[in-house]
Amino acid sequence: MRSRTPTGLLALRTVLIADDEPSMRLLVHATIESDDYTVIEAVDGAEAWAMIQQHKPSLVLLDVQMPGQTGLDVLRLVKADPDLIGTRVILLTSKAQESDVEKGLIAGADFYLTKPFSPLDLLTRVDEALQI
Amino acid sequence: MAVNGRQRGMADPPRRHGWSLRSYIALFMAVLLGVAGLAAFSVRLMSEQDARQAAIADANFAARAASTQIANDLVLLQETTAKLAANPQIAAVLAAPAGACSLSFSPAGHLDVINRDGTVKCSSQARPSGPVYEAVAWLPAALLGPVTAGPFLDPVSGNVSAVVASPVAGGLGTVVAIIFMAPLGAGLASALGGARHLEFLVTTQDGEAVLTRSSNPDRWVGAPLTGTSFGSTSGPVRRTDLDGTNRLYGWSMVDATGWTVFAGADEASALSSAYLSANRFLVIILAGVAAMSLVVVVVYRRVAEPVRRLSLVMRGSAPGSALGIVGTGAREVTDLAEDFDHLMATVKRELAERLNSEQEAVVSERNYRTLFEGHPQPMWLYDMETLAFLEVNDAAVQRYGYSRDEFLAMKITEIRPEQDVPKLLEVIGQPLPAFDKTGPWRHRLKDGNSVQVLITSHAVTFGDHVARFVLAEDLTESERLELELHQSQARAESAAELSRAKDEMVSMVSHEMRTPLASIVGFTELLVTREVTAVQRKEYLGVMLQEGHRLTALINDFLDLRRIEGGHLTMRFAPADISALLKRALDLFSDPAHAPIETNFEADLPLVRADGDSIFRVIANLVSNARKYSPGGGAIVVGAKVNDGMVEVSVRDEGLGIPLESLNHLFHKFYRVDTADRRTIKGTGLGLAISKNIVEAHGGKISAFSKGLGKGSTFVFTIPTVRDQAHTGDVLVVEDDSGFARLLEAELAARGLSSVWAADAETAEHLMTTNGARAVVLDLLLPGLSGEAFLQRLRKRHGPGVPVVIVTLKDIDAAASLVLQKAGVTAVLRKGPGMAEAAANLIVKSLVPELVAT
Repeated sequence: MRSRTPTGLLALRTVLIADDEPSMRLLVHATIESDDYTVIEAVDGAEAWAMIQQHKPSLVLLDVQMPGQTGLDVLRLVKADPDLIGTRVILLTSKAQESDVEKGLIAGADFYLTKPFSPLDLLTRVDEALQI
Repeated sequence: MAVNGRQRGMADPPRRHGWSLRSYIALFMAVLLGVAGLAAFSVRLMSEQDARQAAIADANFAARAASTQIANDLVLLQETTAKLAANPQIAAVLAAPAGACSLSFSPAGHLDVINRDGTVKCSSQARPSGPVYEAVAWLPAALLGPVTAGPFLDPVSGNVSAVVASPVAGGLGTVVAIIFMAPLGAGLASALGGARHLEFLVTTQDGEAVLTRSSNPDRWVGAPLTGTSFGSTSGPVRRTDLDGTNRLYGWSMVDATGWTVFAGADEASALSSAYLSANRFLVIILAGVAAMSLVVVVVYRRVAEPVRRLSLVMRGSAPGSALGIVGTGAREVTDLAEDFDHLMATVKRELAERLNSEQEAVVSERNYRTLFEGHPQPMWLYDMETLAFLEVNDAAVQRYGYSRDEFLAMKITEIRPEQDVPKLLEVIGQPLPAFDKTGPWRHRLKDGNSVQVLITSHAVTFGDHVARFVLAEDLTESERLELELHQSQARAESAAELSRAKDEMVSMVSHEMRTPLASIVGFTELLVTREVTAVQRKEYLGVMLQEGHRLTALINDFLDLRRIEGGHLTMRFAPADISALLKRALDLFSDPAHAPIETNFEADLPLVRADGDSIFRVIANLVSNARKYSPGGGAIVVGAKVNDGMVEVSVRDEGLGIPLESLNHLFHKFYRVDTADRRTIKGTGLGLAISKNIVEAHGGKISAFSKGLGKGSTFVFTIPTVRDQAHTGDVLVVEDDSGFARLLEAELAARGLSSVWAADAETAEHLMTTNGARAVVLDLLLPGLSGEAFLQRLRKRHGPGVPVVIVTLKDIDAAASLVLQKAGVTAVLRKGPGMAEAAANLIVKSLVPELVAT
């Protein structure tokens, strides 16, 4: 179904999923799981930031509404860190309000998806983000 | 008035209890002077007596000494004369016809050698010629032997004398010593008289004449004592001497001559020294008395006088401060005065304050009464318990047409049209806000017309009544329209408010719903679009199912909450047995995997006024939370007790606890405590919000307590008890379906029968015991205790007299039917359309015999 073309130029990439809902992590994980990526998970903002610093993932799928540090907080940290200049961020939001989306884009998110989202859509976005 | 009375009291003369301090001091002084006088007198008397006795003792001693001396002198003279007489020269002189010789003799008197015819042959003085001693009485005896004699008048000197003679051997003559008596007294006085001024008086043996005196030695010597006090030795010690001086005498005899020697002490001089010492003593006493008087005066001035002044000040007779009036008193008194000033200042201040506040209270009461009475709009107060009027104002009397007395005999329901009464009772039956504005209501005037009014009311305490103050505003047509306009505006405003809140809600709910929805949609899409393994499919479908349930629960909770908040969920309040309710709720949690839930119910809990299903839900929510948030187990204790007119239900666990900052938010919608250890615990975040709404709709309160994370938590809610236990109905409706119960009540009410509803058999039992009922409509399918069991107990406790109609969905076989018939059931109806009406008719019929009988 999905055409994957390992270019050889690309090393095995790491994708971090940060969401406090286990079912969402499972869904995202199941959607993007492939030989191309190493998928790691974080259950809240603080853990997400710690793992970003440790693993320097190529892509972060960030839930906005997380207890403690929100996805937007983590996004701002990522964008403020020069070491993470190549890290892509896709926001997952359950808030329909445009203000959140705006805030996220201003903060430097590469894309956003509103829950509920189509897994295929997500996969497209992930591929896009990683091929830029 | 009280103040005036007090002032009158202060002007009253002080009551006399006993003597004044002045009198006591006067008495003290009198006694002191008396005792001092007595002491002075007795000292004087005693020293007088002492002086007298000493003088007498001196006199006696001196008299004895004097007589001894005289006797000794006579013996000495006897020896001297005897020695001379034995001298041969003396014999020679006597033998010679003439011749000169001389003798020496020192005492007053003379020593003579006398021959037989009384001629002095030899003398210590110039020798008289001739037989001068021829006639003396003692001569013959003196020629024969030693003689001591006297007194006699010495013919040579003419002095009263005594003679001591010793004969010269051969009868030639005698040697005589003539002693003049007169100087003897002076001699005795100088030798023995001492400083005592003793008088010595020597008298003859027969007491007839004075031989010698130490004072005025020349007078009285030789004179007879007849007529004086010295006639004899017998007689008083105190005698007047020959010169008229009072003396105290002692006396003694000279044995050789028989003379009596008197020694007399001058009484006046003896006493004068005694008086001197007595007077000294008197001076000391006087000085002492004077000192005491001084002390008394000082004490009086420093204590009694200030106390008297203080008393004057206290009585109000003297103006000014007590300390100023009292002046320089003893420290205790000035302290007392100061204390009194302080006390008076306080009393005056408080009196003034009280007077002020009383006046203010009177004035303000008058003002308020004027406000109330004179207010142009009808106002009244009614008792919340009895609904009776407590006070009405003039405007109400005028507007409604009832007199004040008629008003006060009525209840507020009586001024409403009958059809409005149930609505009124429902409104009043709910917990009213402290301040309330409602309307329009219809009120009935005495003349039968009715008016539309707007009611403004607030809760007040009137005497010991819990009352409500009501202002009734008449609505004219234009006002009514205005009101409606206002209300519609208000509605519009509140609608805007509501819509804002709704928007917020929608956004929150959409967020809460999107998460499970995202899982369901996402996994569905994966399943539809991808080839998945059987294991994956099962996993995905499991998640979808779980999230689907979650979504369902969320929607249910949310809709419930909306219904409760919006007032759409009608609560059916009825008396309920809270412990039965609790036990039924806890049965849900009797899961063998968990430790049983402990209970701690107070005995004999009163019935509560509750919507059983809602309270059941609250209990279930709290207990389920307690178990959910105790992942490590631990005891869960559910308690119920009476506290301040409410039943207080508590659910305590030893679980994760609640951080302090979260306690305030717990009951907010969608709020969930966020700590790592509870991420995996599922919940909609609405349970407590629903519980809070339910409890508050009951007029109770719910709150949460926790000592912090890991220390467990306690949730407590209160629920009002059934206040009016005496409220009784004709028919007890035991039915867990509130809708059918309501239907039954309506049917019964239509037949003039009141009813009380019990949602379970336990409550029904409680009500039968406390209130009783004339008939029972009973469902058999009841939560907890079954209808059959209730019936058996009813018969056992209250006998067969109460008619029971059974209306139930339960299938009843022949055996069960027989049991019911035995229990004296009037009828068994199968629940369905029209059955409420049928049951009501049966009840009426079953009560007819009773009605006839009464």
